[in-house]
Amino acid sequence: MPRADVVVIGAGLAGLTAAARLAEAGASVMLVAKGHASTHWGSGGIDVAAPVGARTPAEGVRTLAAPGHPYAILAGDAEAAVGWLTGVLATAGLPYAGSLQTPIRRVPTALGGTRRVAIVPDAQSAALRPWDPDEVLVVAGPAGFKDFWPAAVAGSLARDAVWHGSDRPARVVGVAVALAGLAERRNVNALELARRFDDPTTRAADLDAFAAALRSAAGRRPGRVALPAIVGLHAHAEAWADARARLPLEPFEVPLVPPSVPGVRLWQALRARIRATGGRVQVGEQVHRIETAGDRVVAVEMEAATRALRITTGALVLATGGIAGGGLVATADGRIVEPLLDLPVETPPHDGWLRRDALDPAGHPIEAAGIRTDATLRPIGPGGATFRNVHVAGALLAGQLALRERCGDGVAIASGWRAANAIVDTGVGGTLAATSAGHSAGPAGIAS
Amino acid sequence: MTVPHTADVLVIGGGATGAGVVRDLARRGLRALLVERGDYGTGTTGRYHGLLHSGGRYVQKDQVAARECIEENRVLRRIAPSSIEDTGGFFVATPDDPDDYVQEFAANCAASGVDCDEVDVQTLLAHEPALNRRIRRAFRVPDGSIEPWQLIDSTLADARRHGSEAVSYHRVIGFEITGGRITAARLRNERDGSETTVWTQFVVSAAGAWAGQIAALAGVEVEMTPGKGTMLIYNHRMTDAVINRCHKSSDGDIMVPVHTVAILGTTDIKVPDPDDYEITREEVARLVDEGTKLFPDLPRMRILRAYAGVRPLYKPPAEAAVGGNRSITRAHAILDHADQGVDNFVSIVGGKLTTHRLMAEQTVDVVAEKMGITARCTTAEEPLPDQHEGKTYWLGHRLADIEAEGGGDADLLCECELVTRSMAEAYLDRHWPCTIDDLRRGTRVGMGPCQGAFCTFRVAGLVAERLDAAAQDGSGEQRAIHAATADRALGAFLRERFKGTRPIAHGRQLQELLMTNGIYSGVLGLDSMAAPSEPPAGSPTPEVVDAAR
Amino acid sequence: MTITDLVAEAAAELDPHVSSSADECLKCNVCNTVCPVMRVTDLFPGPKYEGPQAQRFRLARGQQIQGPHSADVPSPDHSVDYCSGCGWCTTACPAGVKIAEINNQARARLREGKRPKLRDWGLGQTDLTGRLGTTLSPLANAVLGNGLARRAMELTVGVHHAAPLPAFAKRTFQATWRKDGGITGADGETLPGPDEAVVYFHGCAANYYEPHLAQAAIEVLRRNGFATIVPPQVCCGLPLISNGLYDDARERAGSNLPVLADLARRGYRIIGTSTSCTHTLKAEYEEMLDLHDDDTRVVSEATWDICEFLLDLHEQGRLDTSFGRLDADLPYHAPCQLRSHGIGLPALELFALVPGLRAEDMDHDCCGVAGTYGLKKEKYDIAMAVGAPLFDKVKASGAAAASCDSETCRWQIQTATGVPTRHPVEFLLDAYRAGDAARTPTAAR
Repeated sequence: MPRADVVVIGAGLAGLTAAARLAEAGASVMLVAKGHASTHWGSGGIDVAAPVGARTPAEGVRTLAAPGHPYAILAGDAEAAVGWLTGVLATAGLPYAGSLQTPIRRVPTALGGTRRVAIVPDAQSAALRPWDPDEVLVVAGPAGFKDFWPAAVAGSLARDAVWHGSDRPARVVGVAVALAGLAERRNVNALELARRFDDPTTRAADLDAFAAALRSAAGRRPGRVALPAIVGLHAHAEAWADARARLPLEPFEVPLVPPSVPGVRLWQALRARIRATGGRVQVGEQVHRIETAGDRVVAVEMEAATRALRITTGALVLATGGIAGGGLVATADGRIVEPLLDLPVETPPHDGWLRRDALDPAGHPIEAAGIRTDATLRPIGPGGATFRNVHVAGALLAGQLALRERCGDGVAIASGWRAANAIVDTGVGGTLAATSAGHSAGPAGIAS
Repeated sequence: MTVPHTADVLVIGGGATGAGVVRDLARRGLRALLVERGDYGTGTTGRYHGLLHSGGRYVQKDQVAARECIEENRVLRRIAPSSIEDTGGFFVATPDDPDDYVQEFAANCAASGVDCDEVDVQTLLAHEPALNRRIRRAFRVPDGSIEPWQLIDSTLADARRHGSEAVSYHRVIGFEITGGRITAARLRNERDGSETTVWTQFVVSAAGAWAGQIAALAGVEVEMTPGKGTMLIYNHRMTDAVINRCHKSSDGDIMVPVHTVAILGTTDIKVPDPDDYEITREEVARLVDEGTKLFPDLPRMRILRAYAGVRPLYKPPAEAAVGGNRSITRAHAILDHADQGVDNFVSIVGGKLTTHRLMAEQTVDVVAEKMGITARCTTAEEPLPDQHEGKTYWLGHRLADIEAEGGGDADLLCECELVTRSMAEAYLDRHWPCTIDDLRRGTRVGMGPCQGAFCTFRVAGLVAERLDAAAQDGSGEQRAIHAATADRALGAFLRERFKGTRPIAHGRQLQELLMTNGIYSGVLGLDSMAAPSEPPAGSPTPEVVDAAR
Repeated sequence: MTITDLVAEAAAELDPHVSSSADECLKCNVCNTVCPVMRVTDLFPGPKYEGPQAQRFRLARGQQIQGPHSADVPSPDHSVDYCSGCGWCTTACPAGVKIAEINNQARARLREGKRPKLRDWGLGQTDLTGRLGTTLSPLANAVLGNGLARRAMELTVGVHHAAPLPAFAKRTFQATWRKDGGITGADGETLPGPDEAVVYFHGCAANYYEPHLAQAAIEVLRRNGFATIVPPQVCCGLPLISNGLYDDARERAGSNLPVLADLARRGYRIIGTSTSCTHTLKAEYEEMLDLHDDDTRVVSEATWDICEFLLDLHEQGRLDTSFGRLDADLPYHAPCQLRSHGIGLPALELFALVPGLRAEDMDHDCCGVAGTYGLKKEKYDIAMAVGAPLFDKVKASGAAAASCDSETCRWQIQTATGVPTRHPVEFLLDAYRAGDAARTPTAAR
């Protein structure tokens, strides 16, 4: 059965970062995942740290880096890791704007609220620039598209309250734009619309329709236009360049509920990168057993139609996600289990898992459940280290309230990077050398 | 609508019973007015397991109740077919059920007039493979499931046809009593806080578990013993028929398929205040444990939420508290308060949804006699309006209807429950102004596995468009108020759904909840929007959220 | 309860069976992002709608105890018929919902109690059409090659006139094997031991249309020290399953299982050259046909896709790797069925052992044909649109030949691109022969 220097489990930002970094370092890496999750559910941006009061992600990281938080271990890596990843993405044709030093600002959401961001895909970046006092914001989307309601979004954004004291556009207008043939379509979702923008001919006509609607909505006033994040999927770069050229107002994309088009773009770019550097990426693989020998993981078994597919490995990056991502399972009687290795999970008391108010600004204690690690992200339990060649990354790490602290992407990237580096460091004389002579990764890009 | 200043009879309580009473009064030529403090069917009626009783649950301990159930079961199938799904029901003897109860069951059914056939256990298991394979015997009875909100809607429509009226979001806050008679009631509009007075000749309290509170306003004592019944909603129908344990009624012994879900009922715990109670994890665990005797895989099936209703149980003053709440009669009682010094005031207490029409009939008989009206009751005879050609409800109808229109998901606002934009628009047209939660009861929007994650903001968008259109001539300030209202409705809706998820939060449903939080907070920035728990001044529709299923 | 039990319990909570797996849906829409059919047509509302969503509106089973009017509307939806069954949705679902399988069962329900369309029945009966076709091969092939006749077929039975229908072989592989006295495992026959022989499940494609593939597989196995046993066998039943004809499929399974199980119990591995047939033996007898007997289990455990088997030999150091040089670009398409095996992409790993062979994964989800789906007149255009990017890539590669493990995909790619498309073992055999040639002095000249 196949071998790999490193198996990475999980295709979220943490697993993708680790795999990309390892592949780049020359390791034979195999990323396996049950399915898509966090990339396809998220905004496509990179939330590094934006706790209340933080002015930049760097400041946020410093605030959060108290004992018990993943940043207590990872703070020093965040800047380098995020810089490296955005560099990789730029090379892959999906440039991002912003860094850890970029001021955190409020940008509009598809619900007509705002969220605090600093590092976003280029297509979302125009929302980050401060608003001039006379600027108009036009919220424009295809008529009949059920995941973006321009009138509602504009109505809500017209209120001071949602801007929380930051500068804001002078006027907000909502426009629903009728696109040719769309009203007759029976299946319209964000991905479908994004593919429509991939096609140069349809795109030109659609952008002209948008342009006309914007001219009548904004007149000659200066301003920007918020579009749902549907401007191209495979041909996003071309589509976005076209949108900028053809629209009378400067556009920015607003991410939507899943399926997230910016998230799918991110996944595709990183997958392509990993494959291009010799790594394998297999989604649809349910790891059902991990074989251990003493304090080491030696193989990973995947569910198959009959015989489990067994992959021997020198190291493991566990990036299976928290409860939302399915990497941790909460049982009815109040336990939280990490089902692959049965790692010790730091679990809040059952009575306090969820606060009384769904929208409690303090977040819910259960979000902080997770695995404790040492500085190289190896899991530790009450009796010390558990496995020597396992590194935990992403939402599995204990101590983060990712929603409140807006730190999930930064922790994922920094921990993916740290895990990869730790393996490379220990593996130069060990893991990598020991296994790379054998039958390893096979030809570049052999898996889907 | 504006509240009329006079009514022959004022009916308090917009549950099934009150609706039945106002309909009956109207059909006997009286001009009645029903008032409800929230939306219709948001008290006990809507917080109910959905069972159309065959009477089988009462054949052993209360044959009168059993007989009433089967008779009313037949009446409702005739007058309200499209509110009913003819699921059929079974009483099954698990290894835990006592032999004597099982052996006497068929005879008890016969004695109460409840149709009952013993069926071959293997045949039943072939139809219902999720059932416990160790079931020993099975009896088939004409149980069904019933949609309470549609039933109330139709019942009120019939009352209106016959000249009576109903208003929601109006709370009775006091009575004028002169010479031992109520002459008027003071109402408060729960949306804007304004007060009005309705002059009336007679008052019927159909306030159920709240009857004691209403009676107190007239200086009358009615001692209710509200019994909290907690139920669990499962994501899919592991059974297409109602399944009851063949034993003396207890916790967690009935599963009712209702629309796309199945509801496991119930507990029965005395609560001091029908508006203030909590569902505990222990109750949930107990229900699942008991339910597992019917469906062994239950612990692995996904629970969408827990909810509770409060039974309007009445404790007659003479009856001592022995044997806990289950020994209190499920049958109803009509209390004429003349003996307590108020001559034109009756309360109808106890009872159950299945017998609501009979309760109404008997109540109106009392009222009619006291008012000297001789018209007889006709509510059992004519079908209610909006009952689609006499057909009973069919689970597949929404899917079939959507397919018949060409299919596709572009128009689906709620993907779990297949609510289209046009269905939602039609509801809003009929019921505007209303809350998202009213829309939920009317269309089932947000009642599926995602509990509103993917539809709530769409519905909010639809409502916002409507408000936007309404405010076209209005000021920007008005629009901002409308937007704030939509936000609060959204927050309220998500909070209410959360309440039901919290006691059962584990496994997939907790995962879904955290994913939803991630989307609303991380992508949609809900937390940035005007704090939904603090209503801004001047808001046109205060949140009135009262979620059941 | 030990912690191991607890972990198993938690894992079980996340590892549902087909029937109840709809319960696991998070409504997250990931399945819709990967559906190749939804991408190209409005006729299919997508896997989320048809699978976990619509499932809640389909009565579980007890229609007998439903209301009086439900009997005439047994299945509420028909759009599920546009699911091609490629299985990508199941692959991508983070919650383990067996979406494609739910859809397949719903398709079967759709047809329950109705007479199958002649076309669907005929496309399901691959062994019957194969038998007739090979018997009458000159005539049958003339018909298949005749545009007018194909138009007539489209009008009468609904098989699209341009859909890829391969030519029938002059003689079935089975007939040739018997005529040549090959081992059949019949009673009394002396068999080589299970380390020296394997059972070959040829499936309908190699039997009726591509006997040369069967010969190539047997030759490759022989070079690795394995004799081949070809027991009597009928169609695995997959075409019947995907056309919703479960009872007919169970009948096929009933004739295959005892024969194969007997050999499997004696230690023989069952090797197939069709990823579809081998997956049916491995999983669908149990999962889709609800067969849970011991025969089904032992056959499932003994079954190998040929590339999976060869790669396993290689892992053990037992594969003959004396491949000669094949200087060529080779576009490779991994069929959807292969993913369901969960064995990775063994063909590509084998190609990597052949000097000079530059195999490239086309990295496209689905060729569109999905068994018999793309042959149907109402679905042909959908299938072609689904596969279009793949066809473009194959053509753009300029390669002289392409490769794919599954027969209907090969025919689809070949018909759509004009590039001859062959099974991976055929290239391996070429490479062995190239190796032979390089080693013989005559060839060296």
